[in-house]
Amino acid sequence: MANLVAVQPALHQHLLVLPSQIDVHATGQNLIPLIPGELSHVATQLPVVLAKNGQTGQFVLAALTGFTAQENLMMVDGQWQGIYLPLQIQRQPFFVGKATPDAADYVVCIDLDSPATLFSAERSGAQQLPADAETLFNTDGSETAYYREAKLKLAQLLQGEQQRELLLSELLALRLLQPMSLDITFADQSTTRLNGLYTIDEQQLAALPAEHLVRLHQQGLLGAIYAILGSAAQIYGLIARKNKQLGD
Amino acid sequence: MHQQPHTQHINTVVIVGGGNAGWLTAGRIAAKHQGQVRVILIESPGIPPIGVGEGTWPTMRSTLLALGISETDFIRECDATFKQGAKFARWVDGSPEDFYYHPLVLPQGFGKADMAAYWLHGTSAQDMSKAEHISQASANVGPFSSFSNDLCYQEAICERGLAPKTIRHAEFAALANYAYHLDSGKFGVFLQRHCMEKLGVEHIQDDVIAVQSASNGDIAAVQTQNHGLIAGDLFVDCTGFKSLLLGTHYQVPFKRCDDVLFIDTALAVQVPYDTPDAPIASHTISTAQDCGWIWDIGLQHRRGVGYVYASRYCSEAQARETLARYVGPAIADLAVRKIPIESGHRTRFWQNNCVAVGLSAGFLEPLEASALVLVELSAQMIAEQLPATRGEMDIVARRFNETFLYRWDKIIDFLKLHYILSQRDDSAFWRDNRDLTTIPQSLQDLMHLWQHRAPGDLDFTSNNEVFPAASYQYVLYGMGFRSETARQSRQLTNWDFVASQLQQNRKMIDQALTLLPSNRELIEKIRQYGFQNI
Repeated sequence: MANLVAVQPALHQHLLVLPSQIDVHATGQNLIPLIPGELSHVATQLPVVLAKNGQTGQFVLAALTGFTAQENLMMVDGQWQGIYLPLQIQRQPFFVGKATPDAADYVVCIDLDSPATLFSAERSGAQQLPADAETLFNTDGSETAYYREAKLKLAQLLQGEQQRELLLSELLALRLLQPMSLDITFADQSTTRLNGLYTIDEQQLAALPAEHLVRLHQQGLLGAIYAILGSAAQIYGLIARKNKQLGD
Repeated sequence: MHQQPHTQHINTVVIVGGGNAGWLTAGRIAAKHQGQVRVILIESPGIPPIGVGEGTWPTMRSTLLALGISETDFIRECDATFKQGAKFARWVDGSPEDFYYHPLVLPQGFGKADMAAYWLHGTSAQDMSKAEHISQASANVGPFSSFSNDLCYQEAICERGLAPKTIRHAEFAALANYAYHLDSGKFGVFLQRHCMEKLGVEHIQDDVIAVQSASNGDIAAVQTQNHGLIAGDLFVDCTGFKSLLLGTHYQVPFKRCDDVLFIDTALAVQVPYDTPDAPIASHTISTAQDCGWIWDIGLQHRRGVGYVYASRYCSEAQARETLARYVGPAIADLAVRKIPIESGHRTRFWQNNCVAVGLSAGFLEPLEASALVLVELSAQMIAEQLPATRGEMDIVARRFNETFLYRWDKIIDFLKLHYILSQRDDSAFWRDNRDLTTIPQSLQDLMHLWQHRAPGDLDFTSNNEVFPAASYQYVLYGMGFRSETARQSRQLTNWDFVASQLQQNRKMIDQALTLLPSNRELIEKIRQYGFQNI
């Protein structure tokens, strides 16, 4: 569980973030949530699917990285193997929160239990710290370039989530989703059946009246829809990774 | 009025009476014939609906789909919960541990092998170590407990108060087959809004005070208090017990069946939950009493409880006492409503250009929730077979009458089946129920056949069957009836298959118990998040 606290210059002068440890957050996740804006990056390396949250039944847009709940084939020795790391992982260990449930404004929080977070009371022994350690605040209390960049990613994520909700509600309203059913045989002849995943219904999309297509285009969603469709073949890349793992 | 020519098109359907029957019929016709047929519903503003029928069948899912209703909206607005069949308590011998289930999922392996015969054989082998004639093969299969638990995973789900699905299932999809419990009053309001806003049904709030006939005996129009004459090509009588058009106007006789089904009175009460998060039963609980039985239906915010009894065996005061004992001290502050039940139905349901749906067609004790399903089946047949012209109507009417007379007879048979197998001896009510003269010949014949074999699909070959052979099996063997299948023992050779089916059932139980949330928990999630449409 994340241990989130609001970031404050006075308290977190000595807080360090280790960028090399951020990837670790993707370990054990076979579905990594995405926002529409990053689909063009992800779709060239992983299948993009829709799945339902187990607690709420609500749809999530995600990159498929494994064939069982705990499997992430993109992770080797704690490092992400792809060219592009989804924003949901990139943003670690920072989160957006609210000071009180009713507050209008957002505050930036940090997960103190993240493996990428290091709380160093003394910075005297600096030579013992990992070379890539980043601080959030300069000695004069101003924000470092690293922290400003981290906040930018959070803002991007927050905006992207609205765009994602719009995409999901359109996909459902236009009945553009269909369940995926995939039986896969790996190199060692073991088999798996992928259940609970959904993708774009290509026929339904092709039959969509023009006015709906225009609306999707104007909302900037059409590209995302085609990126999801185009990503389907990446399942072979994922199977190849699994076969390689089985062969090792 | 001039005579309606045979080629007169059916352009306008007038439904007299609101309530669930009126709105379901209006909705089905309007949804099927949108833009083609005008649907007008006239409802008396002063008359509250009877509001019986809080239990449905799984057919309600297809009905809601046909009407274009979202399951999430329906559950949120009608106080609805999931129903996975009925638990019959104390029907066999009246003891506290006496119960069986009539679930909504077919017995495991049903249709692939005569599972009931195997089950009967297996239980005999288990019960009687002395029985040499029982093949050795059956000894390794089992252990056997009850028919509904050995062959159906739904009983285990119900016993633990679990829902038939999870929040990840799409609208109307499920792990286990299900129906609903609903608040009848709220359902009527919900249907009305949907029919008017989405399906274009016209609503006139007024009293019908007279009927204007055409020369061929058809109803040409109905006279209303404030809206004048309302003309139509087909009239649907949904006026409840009054049966204004079919009964009063056409004088179609009412066929009583209280010689078979003795119950004639209901005492109904709405019981609030002790706490807002109290468990909700995911099945109807029907508990036999000395002169009838008590229904117990869990909705989201209250339970609906009622004692249905036969007044010739029991005074109202005694019945009230029985109900009070069941509900507990809380009943002191609750309003108990008395509803007369005149068991029976009209001898025809469609006369000229008038068809009755709902209580105006007939009513039976709510033992297997037959009221709403008959409304749905009637509305479906009218909508799907709506004659294009008046000339075709007499044919449709004749077929409708044959279909529904058959259905009423079969329902009466099936309800009676619950009574004739009881061993209860605590009152004349139960003893008289077993008297042969009170059992329809059709049911006696079936019982005769089932002495030596289990009910099978070939016993029920009409397209109009209401209860399948599986339902008869659940009741027969749930109530301890034994078909003597010793003569079949040579044919019962596939014990490996039976073992695998019993194993499969145990596997389904394990899976269901791990996966499914409680009925209450799922209802809360639906209120918060809703189901997806895929």
